[in-house]
Amino acid sequence: MSVSLRIDREPVVITGVGAVSPMGSAFDEIADNLLAGRSGVRSVDPGEYAREPVQFAAPVTTIPAPDADTCGLSPESFYALDRLEQLCLAPVAAALQDSGLSRAAGPRIGLVLGLGAEHLKTWELDFLDGGTQVFGDRRDRTLVHRLSRRLGLGGPAVTVAAACASSGYAMSMGRTWIDSGWVDACLVGGCDILSPTAIAAFYNLRALSRRNDDPAKASRPFDGDRDGFVMAEGGAFFMLERQSAARSRGARIRGELAGVGMSSDGAHMVIPSTDPVQAARAISAALVDAGVGPDQVDYVNAHAAGTPVGDVAEAGAIRMALGAAADGIPVSSTKSMSGHMISGAAAFEAVACLVAIDRQAVPPTVNLDRPDVQCRLDHVPHVFRPRRVRVAASNSFGFGGSNLCLVIRAAA
Amino acid sequence: MNDSLQPPTSGQAGCAILGHAFVESSLSGVAALREGPPPASATHLPARFLRHSDEHTVVAVHAVLAVMASVKQAVAFDRCGVVAAPCQAGRIMTARSLSMLRTGGAVMVSPHIVPQCSLHSLAGAVSVALGMHGPHLGVGGGPDALAEGLFSAMSLFQPGAASGCDAAWLIVTEWASEPELDASGAAIGDPVCRAVAMLLAPAAVDAPLVLSLHLPPAMVATVNEDGMGGDLVAFTQALDICGSGAALASWTVTCPWGAQIRVSKPEPAALAVSRRRPAGRVPMPYREAA
Repeated sequence: MSVSLRIDREPVVITGVGAVSPMGSAFDEIADNLLAGRSGVRSVDPGEYAREPVQFAAPVTTIPAPDADTCGLSPESFYALDRLEQLCLAPVAAALQDSGLSRAAGPRIGLVLGLGAEHLKTWELDFLDGGTQVFGDRRDRTLVHRLSRRLGLGGPAVTVAAACASSGYAMSMGRTWIDSGWVDACLVGGCDILSPTAIAAFYNLRALSRRNDDPAKASRPFDGDRDGFVMAEGGAFFMLERQSAARSRGARIRGELAGVGMSSDGAHMVIPSTDPVQAARAISAALVDAGVGPDQVDYVNAHAAGTPVGDVAEAGAIRMALGAAADGIPVSSTKSMSGHMISGAAAFEAVACLVAIDRQAVPPTVNLDRPDVQCRLDHVPHVFRPRRVRVAASNSFGFGGSNLCLVIRAAA
Repeated sequence: MNDSLQPPTSGQAGCAILGHAFVESSLSGVAALREGPPPASATHLPARFLRHSDEHTVVAVHAVLAVMASVKQAVAFDRCGVVAAPCQAGRIMTARSLSMLRTGGAVMVSPHIVPQCSLHSLAGAVSVALGMHGPHLGVGGGPDALAEGLFSAMSLFQPGAASGCDAAWLIVTEWASEPELDASGAAIGDPVCRAVAMLLAPAAVDAPLVLSLHLPPAMVATVNEDGMGGDLVAFTQALDICGSGAALASWTVTCPWGAQIRVSKPEPAALAVSRRRPAGRVPMPYREAA
């Protein structure tokens, strides 16, 4: 296969950000909360989850209604949508609005939605509400097409799923579409929603923390006392476009999606491989794609969800990919505060990288009281670390062995 | 607002189809495929690997194995990717799990529902089954799965794409008709599940078939609310006809956003002179080449 290096292509930059998360919705609110080490994990409504063995999570408490001019819906109509559509539409519309691009101005804007289990969640929420969709024989169009239509976008619209790396794959695909001239700009990202079945299934897989007595301490990536991850909902979206197009219209450039690397373990449907080779390959490929060496990386936002096996495997992959440079590169897991947004995690953690670049500070890993000796890295426990951050790498390693690394660079 | 984006140049893309296969099975037949030993050609497939898999995955893996058995060209699977585009997979297991959740609580929910019934599950199963290390992802999920799958798979081979793929599987699955289920999640009747698997590679003149993308000057969403198609039988017949060598032929899948993806022989100026639809079928999302 012919090799086309990324450095030969025009940079693709981020000109709009939208989020809905346990850490807030506005960029500055999220930045403040991440750098303050605030946890979004809390006990969840026992009425809704009374029969769940795990009664805590990181929910989205407020979904801001998008501007009616952006999505064509009044606040009343927006809040009449099902919760999954609200969770996706709000950040997509916010990213579109933040970019300053008008939906009616002609540019072909694509949409790539990272969402791993749309039908499962839709059927479940309908079922819990007394509906029977799951038993019927309907075929329903997917959410991404409804979102595209509501926003008046004319470009391609596709849903992609790669487990916990879904929204990162969405970002990669959108960048390729722009590189290829298939779209002028592209909204990319992902989102997810809490549901009883998902919590029960992950609990039964023994993947979730069981600290019902102390929810805020439950998400403990890299800590010796970690016992699983904390489920969360929410996610983030970005507007991507060519740097020259962004500059010509005077858009604010928040950063560059400089590198992407991906691979698969090809080993197991659920458990991450204990062999770090494939995960390390994704990290190395992302650095090559971005044209940077390990010593140029200023921050790594780890996937680290707090599972006993996954965190050790990732630490090994980071060390394998970055070599000796790993000793001097701060690594943190913002899932310690936000919980694990599954489909939305990669995109939200890309926001955390933009926060690090914007604030010149590395968000901490809270609850990291006793770092696991098998996870030896340059951790940032409890409090943020001031640091010049120009290049940030963000890992996303999904169950089933789907590995992805994004490299985000400060605007030139 | 200042929107000064320039109209883009029409992006062109292409990739080769090295082989394809179509497999369908009734639900009762899926049980046998799931439990049976892997075919002799499936050297990497562990015994009973598919015992917890969704019906779409079971049929799809057998379609992949059928392609492997037919493709003569050596393909290095180490850097092979997977794009899987199932249409509403996972319904039966989801219905069962929800029924169990209601009657028995959370402890009764199958731990397999997430890894086996998510949009990426089919791609993950193929990736694991064949021990491949290229990226794997699920796309689509609804009635536009074929168009979304083709479009997404082609993006893996674009210059500068981060996939690093030497080859990729594209698999599209659907129920012939969506199964109707009883309150316990059991199917009423014996619905048929079907899959098309294609082995894709970068475009080459000696390829049996190629996919090419054609973008209109201005894309316009053309979603037909009634256009619940995804007729994989018609698409497979088009692949067979286009690849038969009997005539220069092409077949076009029109995406909901107006882009067209054409299947043809690799000649750049292939004429679309052979067209055929299965009797009695109305493949709504597909438009024959002009």
